[in-house]
Amino acid sequence: MRKNFFKSIFLLGILLSIVGCSEEYLEDPKPAGQVSEDVVFNSRAGVEAYISGIHRRARGQWTTGHDAGGINSVYFARVAKGNDVIIGTSWFRFDYEQANREPTYRRTSFTWEFPYFMINQANTLINGIEASETLSEEEKTELKGQGLALRAFYYFQLAMEYQHTYTYDATLPAPPIYLELSLEGKPLTTLQEMYDLIISDLTTAVAGLNDSRLNKSYINKAVAQGILARVYQVTENWEGAEEMAHAAYGGNVEAVLDASTYDDGFNEMSNPEWLWAMPQYADQTMYYFSAPHAQADFNNPSYNNAYINSNFVDEFSDTDVRKLFVSYNPSVSWQNYITTKFNFVDFGVDFSIMRYAEMILIEAEALYWQEQVDAAHDLLYKLQVNRDPQAVKSGATGQAVLEEILVERRKELYGEIGVEWFDAKRLRRGISRDATHRVVVDLAPDDKRFFLKIPQSEIDANDAVDESVNSNR
Amino acid sequence: MKRKLSGILTLLLVLVVQIAFAQDNLITGTVTNGQGMPLPGVNVLVKNTSRGTQTDFDGNYAIRASEGEVLVFSYVGFKAAEYVIDESTTRVNLTLEEDAAQLEEVVVVAYGTQSKRSIVGSVVSLGEEVLEEQQLTTVTSALQGNVPGVNMLTSGGQPGENPTIRIRGIGSINASAEPLIIVDGAPFNGNINSISADQIESMNVLKDASSTALYGSRGSNGVIVITTKKGAFNSEPGLTVTAIGGVSTPAVELHDVLGTNQYMTYAWEASRNAYVAAGNAPAAAGQLASNNLISQLGYNPYDVAQPVDANGNLVPGANLLWETDWEDEILRSAALRQEYTVGLNGGGEKTRYFLSANYLEQEGSVKESNFERVTTRLNLESDVRDWLKVGLNTAYSTSSQNYPTQSGSSYQSSIQWIYSVASLYPLYRRDEQGGLILDGFGDPIYDYGQNEGLVNASRPVFNNENAVGSLYKYRILNKRHNFNANGFAELTFTDYLSFRSNLSYEQYVFDSYNYADTEVGYASNVGGRITQNRNVTTTTNFINSLNFNKTFGNHTINADAIMEAYEVEFDAFSAAGEGFLPNVYSLSGRTTPTSASGSINSERLVGYLGRLGYNYADKYFIEGSYRRDGSSRFSADTRWGDFYSVGGSWVISDENFLNDSTVLNYLKLKGSYGELGNNNILDSDGNTLYFPYIQAFETGWNQGENTGVLLGGVVDPLLTWETTAMLNVGLDFTLLNNRVEGSVEYYNKESVDLIYSQPLAPSTGNTDITTNVGSIRNYGLEFMLRTRNIITDDFTWSTSLNFSVDNNEITELTQDSFISGTKRWEEGRSLYEFWIQEYAGVDPATGMALWYMDVENSAGEQTGERTLTSDYSQADRYYVGESLPDIIGGFSTDFKYKNFDLNALFNFSFGAQLYDYDYAGLMDGFGTLGYQQSPDLAARWQEPGDITKVPKLLNANQDFGSTSTRFLFDNDYVRLKAVTLGYNLPQSTVESLDLSSLRLYLRGDNLWTWQTHDGVDPEQSISGTTNSRSYILKTVSLGLNVKF
Repeated sequence: MRKNFFKSIFLLGILLSIVGCSEEYLEDPKPAGQVSEDVVFNSRAGVEAYISGIHRRARGQWTTGHDAGGINSVYFARVAKGNDVIIGTSWFRFDYEQANREPTYRRTSFTWEFPYFMINQANTLINGIEASETLSEEEKTELKGQGLALRAFYYFQLAMEYQHTYTYDATLPAPPIYLELSLEGKPLTTLQEMYDLIISDLTTAVAGLNDSRLNKSYINKAVAQGILARVYQVTENWEGAEEMAHAAYGGNVEAVLDASTYDDGFNEMSNPEWLWAMPQYADQTMYYFSAPHAQADFNNPSYNNAYINSNFVDEFSDTDVRKLFVSYNPSVSWQNYITTKFNFVDFGVDFSIMRYAEMILIEAEALYWQEQVDAAHDLLYKLQVNRDPQAVKSGATGQAVLEEILVERRKELYGEIGVEWFDAKRLRRGISRDATHRVVVDLAPDDKRFFLKIPQSEIDANDAVDESVNSNR
Repeated sequence: MKRKLSGILTLLLVLVVQIAFAQDNLITGTVTNGQGMPLPGVNVLVKNTSRGTQTDFDGNYAIRASEGEVLVFSYVGFKAAEYVIDESTTRVNLTLEEDAAQLEEVVVVAYGTQSKRSIVGSVVSLGEEVLEEQQLTTVTSALQGNVPGVNMLTSGGQPGENPTIRIRGIGSINASAEPLIIVDGAPFNGNINSISADQIESMNVLKDASSTALYGSRGSNGVIVITTKKGAFNSEPGLTVTAIGGVSTPAVELHDVLGTNQYMTYAWEASRNAYVAAGNAPAAAGQLASNNLISQLGYNPYDVAQPVDANGNLVPGANLLWETDWEDEILRSAALRQEYTVGLNGGGEKTRYFLSANYLEQEGSVKESNFERVTTRLNLESDVRDWLKVGLNTAYSTSSQNYPTQSGSSYQSSIQWIYSVASLYPLYRRDEQGGLILDGFGDPIYDYGQNEGLVNASRPVFNNENAVGSLYKYRILNKRHNFNANGFAELTFTDYLSFRSNLSYEQYVFDSYNYADTEVGYASNVGGRITQNRNVTTTTNFINSLNFNKTFGNHTINADAIMEAYEVEFDAFSAAGEGFLPNVYSLSGRTTPTSASGSINSERLVGYLGRLGYNYADKYFIEGSYRRDGSSRFSADTRWGDFYSVGGSWVISDENFLNDSTVLNYLKLKGSYGELGNNNILDSDGNTLYFPYIQAFETGWNQGENTGVLLGGVVDPLLTWETTAMLNVGLDFTLLNNRVEGSVEYYNKESVDLIYSQPLAPSTGNTDITTNVGSIRNYGLEFMLRTRNIITDDFTWSTSLNFSVDNNEITELTQDSFISGTKRWEEGRSLYEFWIQEYAGVDPATGMALWYMDVENSAGEQTGERTLTSDYSQADRYYVGESLPDIIGGFSTDFKYKNFDLNALFNFSFGAQLYDYDYAGLMDGFGTLGYQQSPDLAARWQEPGDITKVPKLLNANQDFGSTSTRFLFDNDYVRLKAVTLGYNLPQSTVESLDLSSLRLYLRGDNLWTWQTHDGVDPEQSISGTTNSRSYILKTVSLGLNVKF
């Protein structure tokens, strides 16, 4: 009897412990380290955190290749395609050889997937802000402006990378457009549709944004104007380009330039000449994906893979602050010079995405195309004399002024954003390489190698795009 | 570590000395069955005392007893026998009679045990005698070649890494396809290498629905049930000491690579061809190639400035200043392995115990790689009252693993380095004249290829790295601690009703430490980096079961009602810092803390289970199981899943019409069907996803000091269980006086609602979504046969063969096809069929590689014809083979002659293809100068008209090494997995030494491999691709086993 009593008690205890609400037991675990949509879109701080996250994701080890890790590597691949910089046999060599555009290649898929990832985030940002019931209209306009400018910026990269330039034929197929989250792949659009969207987004953004921002890595009115100025360069809306570039730098050349900082190593966004930057920190870095620094600096551990064309070196006067070249290996023509412009001092190096000097030169170019050649030349000289106090204004007239502006763009921006490629593509000029190069490949005007094929992964997974998309590409 | 071990030894010895006491007579003998085969594990007890022992592997025993006492011999499935000792008895040889009424072997199955006869499903049991025949660093390795339907791969030569196991095909893609491991009734979440083989009594593989259904949600990939040793009631303490030591080398030879002289002339040729292709005249191109060779390579290993002339010949008088054999520098010529075990087991009338300690140290094939482990276990079980039984199994294990990078594509990756860096690059720094540069102590300095200078300074291949230096300058250290406590209480109400409660707790600590040097290598520009991760996985499992088992005449009914609650908590913490002084190896020495992160995730599972079995006269069996599971990994709407199985068996040989058969001793037909689930969803890197149905903004994406969040990938909020329907039909038989024993089984597994990352168009901003899509079928035939060929007093010979033919087929997809790496999935195809470009050899006119492409008519439709193209991007992809083998299995043979024994186990695999990326890199024909190449390039195209399969050497962005059938090889192999030659000291000698047995053995693992594709180990990955993995080891050891 007593034994059975004990047994019953024991059993009862066990049973009590297991009967209980299993539903509650299963509800208990909650995800760690996540935030819900309400938290993000219910306050300005939440939205700013999201914007911060998007900017942070603009750099990262996106792929296994150290040549594909953020907007800087999109830019440096363009640098590699020019005549002024020579790439050795390591990363970016295939971009340099104008041969990195097949549907299965890393460049092709990265340059596609990365902007689209950012666009999807920007769409979520824009739509989330619109739907928010707690943000004020004023806040919405300003915050949305950042989202629209971001979206336009990345669509602009896609438009440039996956088709001929706008002025070649705006009816040509261009990458698909998404304005909201979609699980279905969409069909290709046209360059016209794409540029319409880009310009409309940027125009709205410029109107909605003001001068304030958290720091130089965020988008304010001037940054949106700067992006739009670049877009107008491509669509050849020179009036717009002039207006936007002028507004972006404020119109006072001396106020936005500080020639003494040009040799600071191009690694601190506090540089007064920088308009928009992508910063890095010791704990927020893409390490060796940090092109151009990780490619071009020979003084710190890096890939030692970017050399300077000696003919380009010769275009600089000795008193030009931008002449940051040292002799490296005179016995090999393509290794003759390297540059000290980019100092890879540590993994916290920042990247310049947009600088005031570029805006000044866009304005000058826009003036030229609007047949204000003298004004263009004057503005150009203001920059030149800032860079080289001994600079003498050239006697150029007519088209020579344009050529001088384009050379000045290369001298000012080499290694940074792929200015040569950008100009050659939009002006439909082609790229000719000097004999000093490691690989001499010339691109004819409107050469197909100015753009990439559509990635195989897109063709495979998008019902609206089939294999024929790459025929004749 | 060693001191700890000797402490344990001393303790055990003291214990033994205290326990040992004199008895009157030493009785020895051998126990055999009706066929004269020795019976291991027979309990030998002195009646009415607590003295007892067990027979050893050869059926021998030794026990002390005095006149008038009675020895009782008992063994499951046999009638017990008694023997009365008289004054002169010293030897009692006994034959036990099989007990037809008594059920034969008892097998541990899901939530309990069953007699082998009553099993309606597919269960293969490996006893300790099988485990003892191999050197097992990871115990599950023993399944290879021993269990049909188990596909196992050991990838790489790092000891302490566990093999990949797939039971009956691959039924999951984005959910884990690993089998569930159960140790003493509770799910095991630690690292399986924390259990040493000596602790294990049996390892059973449950393959079909009826045997695994009770694991419901987690049983669809099969279950491995490990039972640890327990000791025997009424037995004297038995002490076993085993020591084994040996040396290892890679089991197969590496791919050959070029020597420097050959390399230089080939490099010149590749460069010349590139200059010609760029439009230079051949002579000018030759001169250019000669002029630029050294600057392109960056290094000059010769004593002349321009070592290769314009005709591609080494200039006379050019001498090599160095030539680096990277394989020699990186791999060990002999890796040592040693293992020591001390085990103690025994028991009294009411309590039994097992205690063991094991120490293992094994070096890997890559220098500095090693694994060191200590495991201990104490199992206790006690019949407290006639109605209450309690037990507690505890185990603690700790291991440390030095794990230099030896697979993958990071620069320091060992094998990749051997296959990538040409021998012309020096191990140590050289000045521009080629002289060694020494440090302040006069020692050479590792060359990281990242120095100032024009030549011998900057290496174009993996610069700022040196894989040899990295073995010593970096440290990758993994430490694992596994603690396990597993207790139960069992109440017996009546002889047919009992209740059992089992609570297990496991804590697994994985600590990884990664140090990168302060002065050289990838973190040198930030003064070195230390990253430490500490992950604590805590598993709690609570099972309560009510068991009913009653026989009414010929009817037997058993029923179980079970409730299970399971919780895993995963607590991850990590920190990193940069900026260290040289030789500072602790994180606290950092100047910049670069990251600190941590998170605690958990998952829970609740299951309600029932099993009902019925049998009539031990001849007809029927069994059904049902389980309802709720998992926190799914949303409240989709988290509950219902799983079940039904099965039956018929012992045909017990029917009257077969009763008299002299040929057929036993014949059983069995069949089962059931549906099981899988909730173990993984991300693309193989990490567990705890909340795969929640899309949220992830924290941690800070921009400088500004807090940042980022939207995670899209999810399917209604994601739910992956369900697998399994059918099993089998026949078990024994023939010819039990000389031949075997089984044949057919299975069909169909996974429906497969959990899969469905690719999305990347333009949507998401590249995939994890959802329940499609279905996969695995089906096959398994065959097992054991024969006892010769049985005489002095000599026995038995053999065993098993194999399976497994097939994989996609039966449903929501879209026409998916591309997955080198595979394309479509209905009717296997998951593992290669879909790649087909190589068509070399164009004799140009020397360029050719591939096939489809011919299209003017309307863009395929005509079905194929043509050749030298433009890789135009080449089409085709189905060209499969990475899953057609047939896998094993063969073993056992000889015993007097005191000698010899056994060997072979495993084999036929019909699989392997894509060898390693070899592709070696054969790309100098696309990039400086990369190591293969001597097989000797067969290259050189001039128009050459007929060869190897394209010309061309230093340009060519696709010669790109994915194609050029590097897809048949991967058939046969491996001598284990061979042991043993000698047992004669009983008389052993007795004179006061021991109960002493055994010496010579053992070899992976000694011999036959393979159709040389240069890589045949065991690479399920998907059949190489990844610069280090090589599996072959090991020769000498062992000693003493029982006191």
